[in-house]
Amino acid sequence: MRRIVHMTQKEFRQVFRDKPMVAIIFAVPIVQLFILAFAITTEVKHTKLMVVDYDRSTVSKDLVLAFVHTDRFDLAGHTTDLREVREGMRGWEVQMGLVIPAGFGADLVRGLKPQVQVVSDGVDGNSSGIATGYAHGILAGFGADYAAVQDSGAPPAGLSSVRMEERMWYNPDLSSQQFMVPGIVVVLLTILPMMLSAMSLVKEKEIGTMEQLSVTPLRKHQLLAGKLIPFLFLSYVELAIVTTVAVLIFRIPMNGSYMLLALLALLYLFATLGLGIFISTITRSQQQAMFVAWFFMVFMIMMSGFFIPIENMPPVLQKLTHLNTMRYFMSIIRDIFQKGSSLPFLLRDVVPLAAFGLTIFSVSVLAFRKRVG
Amino acid sequence: MHETSVTTRELTRRFGRFVAVDRVSIEVGSGEIFGFLGANGAGKTTLIRVLCGLLKPTTGEATVAGYDVYTQSERIKQNIGYMSQRFSLYEDLTVAENIEFYGGIYGLARTKLRQKEKEILKNFGLHRHADSLTAGLPFGFKQRLALGCAMLHEPPILFLDEPTSGVDPRARREFWDTIHETAGRGTTVLVTTHFMEEAEYCNRVLIMHVGRIIALDTPDALKSRFEKRTMQEVFLELVGKEIGETRTRGQHGEQGEKP
Repeated sequence: MRRIVHMTQKEFRQVFRDKPMVAIIFAVPIVQLFILAFAITTEVKHTKLMVVDYDRSTVSKDLVLAFVHTDRFDLAGHTTDLREVREGMRGWEVQMGLVIPAGFGADLVRGLKPQVQVVSDGVDGNSSGIATGYAHGILAGFGADYAAVQDSGAPPAGLSSVRMEERMWYNPDLSSQQFMVPGIVVVLLTILPMMLSAMSLVKEKEIGTMEQLSVTPLRKHQLLAGKLIPFLFLSYVELAIVTTVAVLIFRIPMNGSYMLLALLALLYLFATLGLGIFISTITRSQQQAMFVAWFFMVFMIMMSGFFIPIENMPPVLQKLTHLNTMRYFMSIIRDIFQKGSSLPFLLRDVVPLAAFGLTIFSVSVLAFRKRVG
Repeated sequence: MHETSVTTRELTRRFGRFVAVDRVSIEVGSGEIFGFLGANGAGKTTLIRVLCGLLKPTTGEATVAGYDVYTQSERIKQNIGYMSQRFSLYEDLTVAENIEFYGGIYGLARTKLRQKEKEILKNFGLHRHADSLTAGLPFGFKQRLALGCAMLHEPPILFLDEPTSGVDPRARREFWDTIHETAGRGTTVLVTTHFMEEAEYCNRVLIMHVGRIIALDTPDALKSRFEKRTMQEVFLELVGKEIGETRTRGQHGEQGEKP
């Protein structure tokens, strides 16, 4: 036991002696949180809209205003030539064209159902799909309002005989930050423990101290415990910092229990620290360890549902995500934050997380060799 | 006290098809300074690493401090100190912190540790550097610190693998004074070197060539047997002859020392 204490003390000394490292551990996550929280967004705003108005009526002008009054669309220009839309799209100056045919206003007044054309730049399919959806909504609303204004009294025929009332639960403003920020917490809680443990174990190999330790009576479990306790501690400090920032600055509502979050984080940390140990057993230098850790991380983040919904993946890849421990913790942390879920509702993810976490950890510990030769 | 502290019989270690240590049998007595001589790749380091429990032997027997290298390596570790070719203390810790850490790992009690720390700082002239980072020390001081850390738990057997390579001649002389003092207190010292004048400081010398023993005796006996004035000449004579023989047998002698 005293050996573990000495090992832990030494490890803390080394971490805090390395001032740039301390900065990396505590400052970088916050910077990342700020940048990523604003950068990674699934909302589509300020789509550049070019209007091709062949109608030039007050009705068509109202329609354009209906688009531009939201922050979803910005007016990129008026034209009477469809070719300008094409050129605008080539030059990335236009993302959507709205074509209003001649007679649109008059037809609408007469209660016919006039058509407009929406042309969208489909290069970024996801965004253009969402923008088209917004356009659809605006057009439907505009048609209904117009009909209501025109013949107040008789209900307008067609479209709006069934009205949809929308209620978004858990995230009423559909803010993507509410969804992304807890996810970023998970990413940060992966990078720190995995990198730190892998790098620090490989460093001992690299500088030859691992060999020196191998001839001392220090046992493998003492070595690993002494190494991992400081990183476990630092990971929790980081979790506390980023959670505080998320709640106080990003105003992410925390609807669940902090205790439960901390407890389940431990399971996840077993997995990430275990991966760190594993990486150190298959690499010889800190550079190699970096590359391997990077490889794991990209895979884990991509396949976790962090910003690519798992339901959108091909079935084979969906199955593959079940091997990814990050996937489970990602959905746990979002459930706890947003839905305030309690343990029974989380078991679906907690059970595999626990199983993977403990398996990865024990396999890595077994694979770890103190003996160098 | 005149018992053997290290014994090997037909000890062999292979790396794939390469035989690094080839049927080596030695007996080293307590308090003896036992030198391993040989060119790079002769197998000295591998032999030491096997005896320290860093490598498992392929065949043969070996006991260190009465414990078997196959089955009792954890017991052996309590009884040996080891200093490797590379400086292997923590450069980002201070001198005192390194001593504290290794003392703690060896399970020294707090008061004992304080006392040993004072002793090392004083004996090795490190007291002015107690709170400086190890990285900034001159190399000779680093080596002394490494030796101090290897001896913290007062092991009966000390393994030193080329402890003086890269150290200037004066520091090397001082280093050997320390080794003699240590041996004088009954510690067995097994030391590899390729400085021939250092061989003169050993009680007995083992000369190795491509994994095998080609001579084992006191420096004086070796010099008189080959009618040479220095160990340098003895070594060149012996190894020269070996290389000649190896050539006539149509083999290639030197191979890189394996880690």
